[in-house]
Amino acid sequence: MTLAALLIPLVGGVLAWATPGRARGAVAVLAAVAAFVAALFLPTAAPVDVAWLPAFGAGLRLDPSGASSVLVLAAALAMIPTVLTAAVRVRERTGTFLGLLLIMQAMLAGLFLASDLLAFYVFWEAALIPSLVLLGVFGGERRRGAVTKYLIYAVSGSFLMLVSIIAVRVLSGAESFAFHELAPAARELDAVTQGWLFAGFAAAFVVKLPLFPLHSWLIDFHRENHPSGAADVAGTLYKVGGFGFFAWAIPLLPDGALVLQPYLLTAAAVTALWGALAATRQEDLKSLLAYASLSHMGLIGVGLFSLTEIGLAGAMLLLAAQMLSTGGMFLLSGMMHARRGSFALDRFGGLARSAPALAAVSLFVIFAAIGVPGLSNFPGEFLALLGAAQASVFLAAVALASVIAAGVYGVNLYQRLYQGRQVEGTHDLRAVEVAILAPIVAGVLWFGLAPANAADRIDDGARVAVHGPDRPVPAEGGAASEPPLATAGGER
Amino acid sequence: MIAPADIVLTPLLPFLILLVAASAALLIDVVQHRAQTGGPLALVGLTFAAVSYLVQFGGARTEPTAVFGLHWVVDVPAVALGLIVLFGAILSVLGGWTRVRRDDLDRPEYHPLLLLATAGGLVMVHAGDFVILLLGLEILSLSVYALAAWRPDRRPSQEAGMKYFLLGAFASAILVYGIALTYGATGTFDYGGVAQALLAGAGPLALAGGALIVVGLGFKVAFAPFHQWAPDVYTGAPTPVTTFMSVVVKAAAFGALLRIVATAWSGALPELEVALAVLVGATLLVGNFGALLQSGVKRLLAYSAVAHAGYLGLAVVAAAHGAFATEALIWYLAAYAAMNAGAFVVTMHVMGDDPDRGDRIEAFEGLGARRPGVAAAMTLFLLSLGGIPPLAGFVGKFLAIQAAVRVDHVALAVVAVLGAVVGLVAYLRPVFAIWFRDGRSSVPALAGPVRAAVVLAAVATVVLGLAPDLAYRWIEGSGPLALVPWTP
Repeated sequence: MTLAALLIPLVGGVLAWATPGRARGAVAVLAAVAAFVAALFLPTAAPVDVAWLPAFGAGLRLDPSGASSVLVLAAALAMIPTVLTAAVRVRERTGTFLGLLLIMQAMLAGLFLASDLLAFYVFWEAALIPSLVLLGVFGGERRRGAVTKYLIYAVSGSFLMLVSIIAVRVLSGAESFAFHELAPAARELDAVTQGWLFAGFAAAFVVKLPLFPLHSWLIDFHRENHPSGAADVAGTLYKVGGFGFFAWAIPLLPDGALVLQPYLLTAAAVTALWGALAATRQEDLKSLLAYASLSHMGLIGVGLFSLTEIGLAGAMLLLAAQMLSTGGMFLLSGMMHARRGSFALDRFGGLARSAPALAAVSLFVIFAAIGVPGLSNFPGEFLALLGAAQASVFLAAVALASVIAAGVYGVNLYQRLYQGRQVEGTHDLRAVEVAILAPIVAGVLWFGLAPANAADRIDDGARVAVHGPDRPVPAEGGAASEPPLATAGGER
Repeated sequence: MIAPADIVLTPLLPFLILLVAASAALLIDVVQHRAQTGGPLALVGLTFAAVSYLVQFGGARTEPTAVFGLHWVVDVPAVALGLIVLFGAILSVLGGWTRVRRDDLDRPEYHPLLLLATAGGLVMVHAGDFVILLLGLEILSLSVYALAAWRPDRRPSQEAGMKYFLLGAFASAILVYGIALTYGATGTFDYGGVAQALLAGAGPLALAGGALIVVGLGFKVAFAPFHQWAPDVYTGAPTPVTTFMSVVVKAAAFGALLRIVATAWSGALPELEVALAVLVGATLLVGNFGALLQSGVKRLLAYSAVAHAGYLGLAVVAAAHGAFATEALIWYLAAYAAMNAGAFVVTMHVMGDDPDRGDRIEAFEGLGARRPGVAAAMTLFLLSLGGIPPLAGFVGKFLAIQAAVRVDHVALAVVAVLGAVVGLVAYLRPVFAIWFRDGRSSVPALAGPVRAAVVLAAVATVVLGLAPDLAYRWIEGSGPLALVPWTP
């Protein structure tokens, strides 16, 4: 079943690419749904271990437990409406688009599930190619610049990470790249070495998180991508830098993380606030969403770099939840573009009168995105900020201010789209649009109302990240003072 | 002294087969003028040579042995490198199949010279002493000088041949001087003997000799700053010859360099290893930045060949000390032979009949829509050259960087990856042109042998990446190169 989560979208993608005519859309949607069903069974699935380069202890090792299964599930859920949107909205080279989306989903599933550091790297890089091609073939007029910028940022980071990946095994003397062998050995390294190695990982992860000041590719990336919003969702799912810190860099090199913590925590808090503030000033719908997404990434960052169990767990919960909320926002932006042929906010206004259902769903997703309690992003944001406050009250306050700014841009966005004078009427939700939005709404509610299921699974990973793989249960008195997640959930 | 028992000809069989094939091709073509039997005959000869390798050494692990009193070494690295040399030559012959005819290159001596150069390459990778090395190098070089200037009607080709010849002769002279000084310092030409003498005590004479050897071979493998002939010669020479040079000459020269660094010096000349590291770092930067600045794909690939000399150099620098460096070098050369020959073959056919301007990146525009198969293969080759997983080039980079990190050359590894970023941007420019832009370029369908070369290279690029262990298992443990027991 673990391998199925990876192979179903991969095979589905190739089939969708090869299928002629309109049937390809059906093939792709079917593959996306099947991948989602497979992802549902991940928590009980068995790990996979296939040798790749045994001389160096590298293999295709996949471990479906913990946070991985939650992220694969959220990504698979977000991919269903995305594939549907692409099947309906992309007119030229539809098969290519669908194929790339599903192949990307497969690579992301591999990236989340990998329990071998080299396999993780291979999937990390392999996912880059489909997202580059989606932007390069289907992007807007200034896509060339955007592609080049994206490429240089992404590759500079990840090639430096490769040096760290190799060095962490060579220096620690671990038998293989498998997490369970690498982690105990790497944690023994001295703090200075760990700091340098961690910096190598951070080069890749900070770019892909992204954090201020290495975020500028993100804005161009979203602005130039295909107007249906489908490619933007794929890009949103690919913001996996936070996961990289959570699953690899922090558990392998805890002392290195401590060395860099002040800088990274500051950058994350600044990112959260700056992204939200910038979002309030945008006149272009996609730019606004890009900055809003950046702000979420900042919140994920403060959770991570608090280096507390609760903050790390919150960050991963938020990462999974924002796949749905941000993804939903980008799909909605695609629907707006289909109605007006533009993303300029001054082209819209008063649409609630002619399209009340669209307005209602939009309000729902906007609320989810800005962290209204009961919806998907709130639990993660809350826990991330709680963790951050344990590390630095001041920086947590800075990050918290972003939540207020989020309220401003969120409500502002709704007003400019749906309220005020109606410039021009439009049609309400079509059947296919209802089908597109239904999984998003369901996912947002599920993450908001029943976070405990996901949080329990993430919690194990957070414990490993903070305490190392040898000590699954915290033994020290200091660690025990952190409230267990179930209580934190109950307080809400 | 060579005892009669040492004179065994069977290990020389691949080399002898190539000589026979070259002579036969020469004779047949002279008798039946324009009979065009050179290509098929070359292919048969190369294939038989490869088969004779596989039959003799393919099964069980080959124990290091030597014939002719150590002068012709047979061990796993030598056999693997020999096979890579043959593989590259086969790809060059197949890939140039139609181009050679259209460009009027297939005069009777073309394929015989190619075979002789390949035979010279085999001598270099099997050489167990400096004299044999020099013999192989000259057999190889003299043939390639002639091939580079194979189109007397075109100035760039003449210029390439002349440049390569003058600089090459100069480099050979320096190498000979280095060998002479080494002999003066150690009293032997034999790698094992040199190693014993150097480990007993290395004076300034040995150091000077070693430095001159580094310069001489550095020219052949195109280490910066001795790389400057490479872009001009690669661009000016007929593309089928460039394909051959970039793969076969490189593999042979690196094979020789590896053995000298790992066996003959075996860590006794640390100053030279520092010098090598500096050269490698410079090569990585010059090659990758140079590739970025080019407007022609052939020239881009020429600079890329320089850059890849840098990655290979990482393994050479590590070879004297670290385990796994020899394997890394062999692996990288195998991957490089596939992806680089593939890229050159596609390029030579996209360029068409206009060798002066045809290699501009614009010529690739719209290839994705017109010839999706060729375009996909070219994309594979370029991505692999750029080191994107899970292709062969990535595994090669991984192994080379790991070899460097193991011997504490972390700074060099960082230079390598920063260069790789630049290189990747350069490689993706043709990829973008192929897929993201429309163009009017028309590329005729590839002829059978050419298609075979592209498919062979593409399959190797993918399989070596996805299942590296298939090949790695065979070369694993072949380094660090042992001192073969030496009895005078």
